[in-house]
Amino acid sequence: METYKGKVRLVIKNYPYKYRDYSHMAAEASLAAGDQGKYCEMHDLLLKNSPRLDRDSVIRYAKELGLDMKAFTASIEGFKHAAIIERDKKLAVDMDLYNTPTFFINGRKVIGNRSYEYLRKIVDEELKNAKR
Amino acid sequence: MRKDSISLLVALLFVLMTCGTVFAGHLEPFAGVPVQVKNPQTPEKTELGKQLFFDRRLSGDGTMSCATCHMPELAFTDGQDISLSYPTTKNWRNSPTLINVVFQKYLFHDGRSKTLEDQALFPMMSAFEMNKNLDFLEEQLRQVPAYVDSFRRVFNGEITRERIAMAIAAFERTLVSVNSPLDRFLRGDQKALSDEARKGLEVFEGKGKCADCHYGVNLSDDKFFALHVPENQALLNDPRVTATMRFVAKVYHYKDYRDLKEDPGRYLITKKKQDWKAFRTPTLRDIARTAPYMHNGVLATLDEVIDFFDRGGGEGNKALKPLGLTDDEKKALKTFMVEALSGDEIRIAYPAVP
Repeated sequence: METYKGKVRLVIKNYPYKYRDYSHMAAEASLAAGDQGKYCEMHDLLLKNSPRLDRDSVIRYAKELGLDMKAFTASIEGFKHAAIIERDKKLAVDMDLYNTPTFFINGRKVIGNRSYEYLRKIVDEELKNAKR
Repeated sequence: MRKDSISLLVALLFVLMTCGTVFAGHLEPFAGVPVQVKNPQTPEKTELGKQLFFDRRLSGDGTMSCATCHMPELAFTDGQDISLSYPTTKNWRNSPTLINVVFQKYLFHDGRSKTLEDQALFPMMSAFEMNKNLDFLEEQLRQVPAYVDSFRRVFNGEITRERIAMAIAAFERTLVSVNSPLDRFLRGDQKALSDEARKGLEVFEGKGKCADCHYGVNLSDDKFFALHVPENQALLNDPRVTATMRFVAKVYHYKDYRDLKEDPGRYLITKKKQDWKAFRTPTLRDIARTAPYMHNGVLATLDEVIDFFDRGGGEGNKALKPLGLTDDEKKALKTFMVEALSGDEIRIAYPAVP
């Protein structure tokens, strides 16, 4: 995002895996951190520490990020963002998406965890097309 | 012996010796697919196979179909260095194209299957691919009336895992590279290749020695070679990959599977010393569309592949020798591979899965 500052907009949708115990907790945690301006930081920590995504672990990560713990804990325990997560899940199912991550880069669908180089090539192509 | 007879004998010996050291296989144009005696192709069967190919019921958690790793838009690969995998697991090898699998004598990079019917069930059962219990799959599909009808029509019988594989195999046999410039050229159309591609063909059959192994209609000798392809660094220190590798080794009764640190290749299947880290010669048909390359996807571009072979392959290998190609020859070779070997794009209308 730093490389493409002002040129690219990133929209992230939640799609917690249905068979993982803590994937919903992780989605709640990232959105709760987002309320305090630390979405990306939490997102990175969750990926780095997966599969340790239980309640105590995400609380530990929140402390690492220096979040307001009272607000964070209340958010994840109250499932404050459940409606957003459910809305995102419905969107994925409606679009017949089942794999995470799935990217849409200007409409081009890319399934699976891809290298930066792979994604950069597509982003560059799409930026070029957009300029025409 | 007369002097001219001796000359003839010497000449003959020279030819024989030359043939023994330099062998360029014959390139053949596409002229149809082999007839399947044990699993005859019918339109109804291939259509059923297509439905199954795209059906996520074939995976344990309902997130993956065959098409997840063999996407029509990516020439029936997934475009990754290492193939996509079942959620929470990691694969260890590149997803090969399905184009022209009808011609392959062996399937998988290590050639563990000899028929598509045998091959099709492996990924379904594999813990790190589709992770499906086949007994459960049979019962699940038997609850889908449209499938019950289709299997009755196509096979005159009920749904079984063997018939599921037969239908998928029939569909896969329709994925054929046709009408490439090379096909047209080999049939006599001299204008089918550009001058640069013609030069590349000369390198392919001559100095580049590509046709030593990549020949016939499928541009493959269906043999296995240990080229000592560099390790994919992404695999080396990932415990999930180690788990996958050792799991496969255990399944194939590799004695020291718990100490295994690298991909043993065909050795896992044959236990023959010469097969250590050997992998199947892949087709080069539609090669420009199937990057990245090699069994572990470690070479991202055709330029990297050409450089690898030009260097004489990986360190310590005995299968290849340095080629000494000039930059122009490499360029021509790449042009040939990109222009001449790309057939008509296979467009698949996604089926409605029942």
